[in-house]
Amino acid sequence: MPKIIIDGQSIVAKQGQTIIEAALDHGITIPHFCWHPALSVAGNCRMCLVQVGNQKKDSEGALQFMADGQPDVAWIPKMQIACATPVADGMVVDTAGKRTVDAQEAIMEFLLVNHPLDCPICDEAGQCKLQEYAFRHSRGKSRFDDEKVHKPKRVQLGPQIMFDGERCISCSRCIRFADEVAHQPVLTFVQRGDKVTIETFPGTTFDSPYSMNVIDICPVGALTSIDFRFRARVWEMSFTDSVCPGCARGCNIKIGVMNNEVLRVEPRTNMHVNTYWMCDYGRLTTPAAINDNRTDGPMIRRDGQLQSASWEEATAHAAAILKAARPQDVVVLGSAHASNEDNYALAQLASKVIKTANVDFIKHIDATFGDSQLRVPETAPNAIGAHAVGVAPGNGGYNLGQLAERIASGSVKVLVVLEDTLDSSSQRLAELAAGVDAMIVFSSKASVTAMQASVLFPAASFAESHGTFTNTMHRVQHFKPAVVTQENVRYMGMAMSRWDKFGAPNDRWTDGTRRNSRAAWRVIRDLAAALGTTWSWKSAEDVFADISQHVAAFQSMTYASLDANYGLVLGKGGQPDPVGTVYESHVLKPN
Amino acid sequence: MDWIDFAIIVAKGGILVNAMLIAAAYMVLAERKIAAWIQNRIGPNRVGPWGLFQSFADVFKLYLKEDVVPAAADYRFHALAPVISIAVAITVYAVIPWSDAVEIGGRMISLTMAPDMNVALLVILAMTSVGVYGVALAGWSSNNKYSLMGGLRSSAQMISYELSMGLSIIGVVMIAGSLNLVDIIRGQSAGAWNVFYQPIAFIIFLVTALAETNRAPFDLPEAEPELVGGYHTEYSGMKFGLLYLAEYANMLASSAIMATLFLGGWDIIPFLDDATILGLEPGSLPLVLLQHGAFVGKSLLLVFVFIWIRWSLPRFRYDQLMNLGWKILLPLSLANIAVTGTVMLLLNR
Amino acid sequence: MANVTTNIESERMTFWERIYLPEIARGLGLTLRQMFRPKFTRQYPEERWEPEGSYRGRPVLVQEEDGERCVACGLCSRVCPALAIEVRAAETDKEKERYPELFEINMLRCIYCGFCEEVCPEEAIVMSKDYELVFGSQDEGILGKEKLLIPVSQLQDRLEFLRQWR
Repeated sequence: MPKIIIDGQSIVAKQGQTIIEAALDHGITIPHFCWHPALSVAGNCRMCLVQVGNQKKDSEGALQFMADGQPDVAWIPKMQIACATPVADGMVVDTAGKRTVDAQEAIMEFLLVNHPLDCPICDEAGQCKLQEYAFRHSRGKSRFDDEKVHKPKRVQLGPQIMFDGERCISCSRCIRFADEVAHQPVLTFVQRGDKVTIETFPGTTFDSPYSMNVIDICPVGALTSIDFRFRARVWEMSFTDSVCPGCARGCNIKIGVMNNEVLRVEPRTNMHVNTYWMCDYGRLTTPAAINDNRTDGPMIRRDGQLQSASWEEATAHAAAILKAARPQDVVVLGSAHASNEDNYALAQLASKVIKTANVDFIKHIDATFGDSQLRVPETAPNAIGAHAVGVAPGNGGYNLGQLAERIASGSVKVLVVLEDTLDSSSQRLAELAAGVDAMIVFSSKASVTAMQASVLFPAASFAESHGTFTNTMHRVQHFKPAVVTQENVRYMGMAMSRWDKFGAPNDRWTDGTRRNSRAAWRVIRDLAAALGTTWSWKSAEDVFADISQHVAAFQSMTYASLDANYGLVLGKGGQPDPVGTVYESHVLKPN
Repeated sequence: MDWIDFAIIVAKGGILVNAMLIAAAYMVLAERKIAAWIQNRIGPNRVGPWGLFQSFADVFKLYLKEDVVPAAADYRFHALAPVISIAVAITVYAVIPWSDAVEIGGRMISLTMAPDMNVALLVILAMTSVGVYGVALAGWSSNNKYSLMGGLRSSAQMISYELSMGLSIIGVVMIAGSLNLVDIIRGQSAGAWNVFYQPIAFIIFLVTALAETNRAPFDLPEAEPELVGGYHTEYSGMKFGLLYLAEYANMLASSAIMATLFLGGWDIIPFLDDATILGLEPGSLPLVLLQHGAFVGKSLLLVFVFIWIRWSLPRFRYDQLMNLGWKILLPLSLANIAVTGTVMLLLNR
Repeated sequence: MANVTTNIESERMTFWERIYLPEIARGLGLTLRQMFRPKFTRQYPEERWEPEGSYRGRPVLVQEEDGERCVACGLCSRVCPALAIEVRAAETDKEKERYPELFEINMLRCIYCGFCEEVCPEEAIVMSKDYELVFGSQDEGILGKEKLLIPVSQLQDRLEFLRQWR
């Protein structure tokens, strides 16, 4: 284990680490553009130049010190790049001295020689590494007064990626990503010197399912998202930590919201789950899943038509339906799309209040969706969790497979469906369900099943409530509300942009849609109360506390411990995996 | 009294009331113009030539405005208060000696409603005392703390200053030996005006008149920075108009009384007999008209002084107001009586 | 208490000052003199005031021959202390690939601080000389691009001022 000194701080590094890695492990970030922990070392941006040396030793091998007690160092005459220099015992690194700062300023001036400085137009502005370093590590002046080199702009590298050659600082992160992570090596440098630019090989396009990650890792605004282009400035959005609902991997994400509308989703580092990446499918479908085709306001079927009703009316109506039915005639379907909290509440409702054993949920498996990287065939985010909190047939109950036959034979009178569509199980089931006496549906989407309901409760989506998903690796992960509903306002502790904080109701930029929806566990609690059973849950956290108390696999988990440990594995609530060093390429500025 | 006398009295009443209303309207305009000039502005100049019709536009606006009565107000007294104020103001006009009498068709006719009333001065004092009811009632019935404080201040202020005002007149009455205003004027027209005999009384009367009419620097009952609008905070439309009108009517009445008591009334030239100098027959129509003009002129000059003072002096503090009234004006007016009496005794008049 | 010196108002004043009357007469004399001094009033709708280039009136967008200068960077919106500005960007085929699809200034919020002008990297938003702002409703007070765009020729004074003093 080599011992090194960085800026006077003694550090025990791991064997084979580079200086930049060792420094990062100990909380020192050395400025860098091309280095990324998940990519090979290119060493071409030169931003991480530091002064490196070794402490002098005398003939007996004793370390030499200067008169003031500082180690007497034999500096290597030339600066070294921290990303490619392995640590060695006795190494001394200076990342803040005059020579290092001079080198950083010189590199910044050099990188900015041909940079167009069109930050007002550039989407990266506000979260740009080059901007940030120009502020922190640059002289703020350029001695270059010639015409800047002009390069191709607005080049489409793939279906989702727009390239601007002038902004590019040739760090090659995208080239290495395409090669090493996406395994689609189609990007390359062409030309050289100040003419160097990036192109796809002729006849190819960068359309890997992970292609959009290059937008995140690009340290400047050279690669931008065609989907998002110019929709908002970074500082106009609030970013909320959440979990991708696209598949059971549960990639950690940040949801960017402006005016209560989800504009974009970007990956959040979680070394246990998705490392630094997420797939394009999750990135592109998640905003639409939250914004579009939503239920809004409770509805009751009257005279064959779904009509708007108040929450109280809908709850009373649903309670009346459940009271009138014999328990064995009721079937309760949980959901792999709903959170652990919602599923637990539903399972409790089935077993303690309705007292039916006919409980199950629909599994969503698409073998073509999975791949060898992040995507898994299980396309709903919480199948493991739903099962773990008790959404499973009880004694004498029947499961999903038998449901269709039971409906056909007429022994099902009431169907309770949480956050799912019956046609996603089988078309026959959906058709048969139309013949059931009554259907109580909790749904955030205005799906076919929701439209079949006798009573429809608009459920808050995962982006509107607190909750947890359990991913395919049995890791329970916490997500937070990013969007507000009608009865909710942005509260303290919620991510808020300046616009959210200071907007007044009569401003036009605060008139975004607010839906009349409630978290399913809350509706279920009220329904149980209408049926005579009172639960004291006041928040999703209360429900989760109940789960961790009553379900062994969730023991000693809390939202706080989930957040602190980047999720906890079922059954190991007390033994978190080591978090390690969490690297975020771009640090968002506070609003 | 035959029907001609009755018709003459009705006609005089009509003339006086209308003249008072028009005069009040133009005093408002004068107030705004003078204020503007003192502040190096032009003042209202849009309605009619030099803004001469501005006041009519204002009154027209007041008529058209909604009459808002606060829900918690006592609406009967709320409506009664402006009526009392304006009625009292008009009543005083009945005894003011606007002109000397002139003989027309065997009848002695003057513009005064009640000429030769032997208690005229007492009527004036009595009426100004009643005037406080209007203000106090307006303040109380509005059921608003600012209005109430305005009304209370007005009551306290009027009672305090009434005393000095009454005492300051006594000197004049002693000289004239009569409470009849016409007699007081006649006493002055031959010799010197009372202002030369009673300068202290004149100043006291001027100050107390300012206070009695709630004019600056004694406008505490409606002190805007403290009390919003004082007793008329809750008044709108023509009810506010009446209170406003009463203020200006009172101002003109005070000016006319001061002209009568101290400035020789309708006497044109002090120290000398007008008739001999102008070569006109005493009691002839031209002379009476000239004298009437002199009386109106003196009154308007005093109105100007009122306005001038308002735009020059800052408002008193409440304790300063009371100190001035009780500790300075009251002893001073008592001393004035004593000195006047002593001097008269010594001169054996 | 013998060594206590007092300095109270009534002791400082002379008898004539204390009775106030001469001072009041002086004050009245002053106001009387003022009445005959020249007047400052401007006959407003007929005589209008033409402000200097340094005047900060209604903020407007500069319009060149080929459209607005603004690239919808949103810095004015970010810096605005009163949150009066809303910008929504969209893409164009021009060289500056971004333009404001929507640009609204809520003049009921605007405080005429000129920060938007100061922060603008394109000199696209400047403070005009327009001080006559009257609205019939709250909605009318929100000015869109059609009201904000002013040809560059009409803004020369201000642009000249900015060039000279900033």
